[in-house]
Amino acid sequence: MKEYNPKLTIGIFSALVGILFASQVKMNIQMVTPVTISSIQRLELEAKSLKTDIDDLKLNIEDKQKYLDLIENTDYSEKNIISVLEDERDKNMLLAGYKTVAGPGIEIVMFDNINSDELSFDFNDGIIHDVDMQNILNDLRVAGAEAISINGERVLSFSDIKCAGPVIRVNGRSLGTPFIITAIGDPKLLMASVSAPGTYAEMLTKVYGIGIQPYSKDKLIIPAYSGDFSYFYAKAVQ
Amino acid sequence: MVYALIGVLIGVLIGFLLPFTYNSAYTLYVSVAILACMDSIFGGIRANLEGKFDATIFVSGFIGNAILAAFLAYIGDRLGVPLYYAAIFTFGNRLFDNFAKIRRIITSKRKTIKDKNGTTI
Repeated sequence: MKEYNPKLTIGIFSALVGILFASQVKMNIQMVTPVTISSIQRLELEAKSLKTDIDDLKLNIEDKQKYLDLIENTDYSEKNIISVLEDERDKNMLLAGYKTVAGPGIEIVMFDNINSDELSFDFNDGIIHDVDMQNILNDLRVAGAEAISINGERVLSFSDIKCAGPVIRVNGRSLGTPFIITAIGDPKLLMASVSAPGTYAEMLTKVYGIGIQPYSKDKLIIPAYSGDFSYFYAKAVQ
Repeated sequence: MVYALIGVLIGVLIGFLLPFTYNSAYTLYVSVAILACMDSIFGGIRANLEGKFDATIFVSGFIGNAILAAFLAYIGDRLGVPLYYAAIFTFGNRLFDNFAKIRRIITSKRKTIKDKNGTTI
């Protein structure tokens, strides 16, 4: 067998490595990340959500365009203008919570821990507090609740929920147990938000023994906000 | 050591001058293959210093290791498991191992030369 010069052989193959190295550098890769199945799925999900976002925005544009057309095409006789403005006012009142609304949703009956001996260290653990109520309302809002009321008292963005001894004050009105929370929205989502494992409501029932019974309803009626509310300090920025 | 360095430098020069590129999807495989090749080079240098260099073993190891490493990365990609970690770990480990041995050999050679000088003076 022919003897090879080791230094020459190693040198030649080092040159090969150098060529590979240079070509790799030439590719100008910022970061080499392996494409795994999970990363592909993540990207796909991201793309999907972006697509739905885009579709939503397109729908929004269509809505706005329609409204613009409506305004532009109304002849400016007094009657038409009034009806358009009234429609808009009604819509705004509905969104602001000054209208009685009806729709599918869930009804949650909440009451304090009945078994007084079950958790005897602190009686505070067994009763419903404002924090519990606020957390549950938050869960409902996350699940897409459009209108919420507690014992017939409409809860709006500026509603206060406060503990006041054995009762809870909502909108400045005292409400006692059992609390009946009514929420209009997708019943399945709303049910999940108060009954799925890991939710705040589940923790309340399992750990503190507070009664929470959600019922899915086809038609619920939520009354309008009965009080009067106006801004004294906040002014619109021009 | 020096001849390997010179070889790499020449290779880099050639690589930059040649219009040789490949699909960017293969960069991971090539990078793992480069690691395997570097391991082989270091192994060759060490074997040369130890005086038991075999061209057949060196060339087969050079090409075989590179192909195996790239293949492992490819299979890992198909399976969704980053198998190329195995190649990175093995070859990285051996690279440092070989380098440590090369250092020892070089330093021990220097020492013996110094000793000889010491005895003569």
